[in-house]
Amino acid sequence: MNPDRTDDYSRYLAGLLAGDAATCRAVAQAWLDAAVPLPRLYEDLIQRSLYDVGLLWERGRISVADEHLASAISEGVMALAYPRLFALPRVNHSALITCAANEQHQIGAKMVADLFEMRGWRGFFLGANAPYRDVLDLIAARRPEVACLSLTVFFNLDKFIELAETIRAAYPELPILVGGQALRVGGRERAERIADTRYLGSLAELDAWIAGYEATAVAP
Amino acid sequence: MNPAASPILATYLDSLAPVLVLTLDQDVRVTECNAYAQQILPMEQLGRPFTDWLVELTARKLTGAELLAGTETPARLSLNTASRVPETFLFHFFPVPDGHIALGSPDIAQQRRLGETVLGLNRELSNLTRQLHQANAELKELNQLKNTFLGMAAHDLRKPIGAILAYVQFVLDEAELGAEHREFLAISHAAAADMKRLVDNFLDLAVIEANQLRLDLANVRAADILDAAMVLLRPLAQRKAVTLVADASQAGGDMRLDAAKLQQVLLNLAGNAVEHSQGGQQVTICLRRAPKAQGEELRCEVHDEGAGIDAAAKAHLFEAFAQAGSRKTGGERATGLGLSIARRIVEAHGGRIGVDSVPGQGACFWFTVPVTQDPSQKETP
Repeated sequence: MNPDRTDDYSRYLAGLLAGDAATCRAVAQAWLDAAVPLPRLYEDLIQRSLYDVGLLWERGRISVADEHLASAISEGVMALAYPRLFALPRVNHSALITCAANEQHQIGAKMVADLFEMRGWRGFFLGANAPYRDVLDLIAARRPEVACLSLTVFFNLDKFIELAETIRAAYPELPILVGGQALRVGGRERAERIADTRYLGSLAELDAWIAGYEATAVAP
Repeated sequence: MNPAASPILATYLDSLAPVLVLTLDQDVRVTECNAYAQQILPMEQLGRPFTDWLVELTARKLTGAELLAGTETPARLSLNTASRVPETFLFHFFPVPDGHIALGSPDIAQQRRLGETVLGLNRELSNLTRQLHQANAELKELNQLKNTFLGMAAHDLRKPIGAILAYVQFVLDEAELGAEHREFLAISHAAAADMKRLVDNFLDLAVIEANQLRLDLANVRAADILDAAMVLLRPLAQRKAVTLVADASQAGGDMRLDAAKLQQVLLNLAGNAVEHSQGGQQVTICLRRAPKAQGEELRCEVHDEGAGIDAAAKAHLFEAFAQAGSRKTGGERATGLGLSIARRIVEAHGGRIGVDSVPGQGACFWFTVPVTQDPSQKETP
């Protein structure tokens, strides 16, 4: 990152911690106006700052409320990138991304959906608490080639497995990818016992999966 | 509880705890406050009845006695804070000699519910924003696809139609035909000419929709454009026995225009007027300069004496395909694209287009174009 961007990052993080959405949006908009590539905006600003917020929370320096506010501001910042994100050149692939029921944290899953968009896929994002019916309807209507399920709170593991099993029963051929903070703690084996279900630990691993899929798959 | 805890709790409640501790006298006036109350309540009210500190939500104020006798425990009461933003507390009243001690704690459960609801709504809103942007991008792609298809289809149809027109005309000119066969071929020729007009309009629209409408601006005299259009309009008017009157005496000198495109607009408006007129009626085309808020504009009016246009039709007249299927007086079929194309051309010049009409009293189609000049170019002599 060049020195200007380092300054920007400090300003952005300070804004995020102070609940100052306007400052965060201004920094992100300046990057967008300067045609900074979208992966840089996502990784060097949004993702990095959320990791820092997580660390501060773990160390007791900020509260749960601060962390929730930071997520809300970050989602608003991501929306600034959408006119550019969705106008990127398309490849003929699509993915469904959703969270387990009762999840309060959807931002990681949404980043996954946006990463698909950056790779030219259509990333259909159904937020936290989407009813199973909506998930199945979207698969029926859009025929995505992969379903990505995110779990951030371990407590919701049962619901998460239930969702994966529901999708598997309705669409036996649809590959399922699972990920999220909670599966680092446990539950990965349970999820991977479902047929054609794979755990991916990071956005980089997802990126590699997309490249591999594109190399072998024939677009529908 | 450990007896040593009492003084610690007293100190904690008095100076640290986020709880209101108010001392009320026998008349239920607030006489003392702990540190937290001093921080958030309007202290200038100290000494006044406790009921005065409450937000007045009902016309009738509660009396202190009613409050203390309240059956609801804890009592959910909203107080005006120093920042004038009301806050809700859950109050317990404990009798002491000479009055009461009121303990008020923030309604944490409600605040948490509010926080969760607001965050949930924010997440939903941000998801909907994402869906909206995604749907918008998909619509743009589809529109682009439609334009490409439109352009390609029209382009590929143009050549065979040209061949049909040319060969039918050749046979009409050269072959010895009976009256009936001649009529069949004339109908074929007219149909192919209609088709060519439609295809030309499709191509124009495809270019416009793809935002590729480029104006070829030059200093020209508007009157010259009208003269050139009249050459093409006269035979049409003569065939229908419609009188054509043109007046460009007040049209002024040179101005920046795309002459070919503006002629297309004139031909469209005047051609429509002739086609919607009956024999013996008159179509008047008038070009003149008119002052506007800043500078001048060229105003063109095309009057006819036809059937006129009702208000409902007027509203959509300049939209693509609005007139599709409508029949003109000579049975010519409208493509529904001409006026939409005319509007885009006029708007690209920075002008406006419109129609004034009373059904049964003809119509006046008009457009305006601001008068600008390129100082680097000399006026045409």
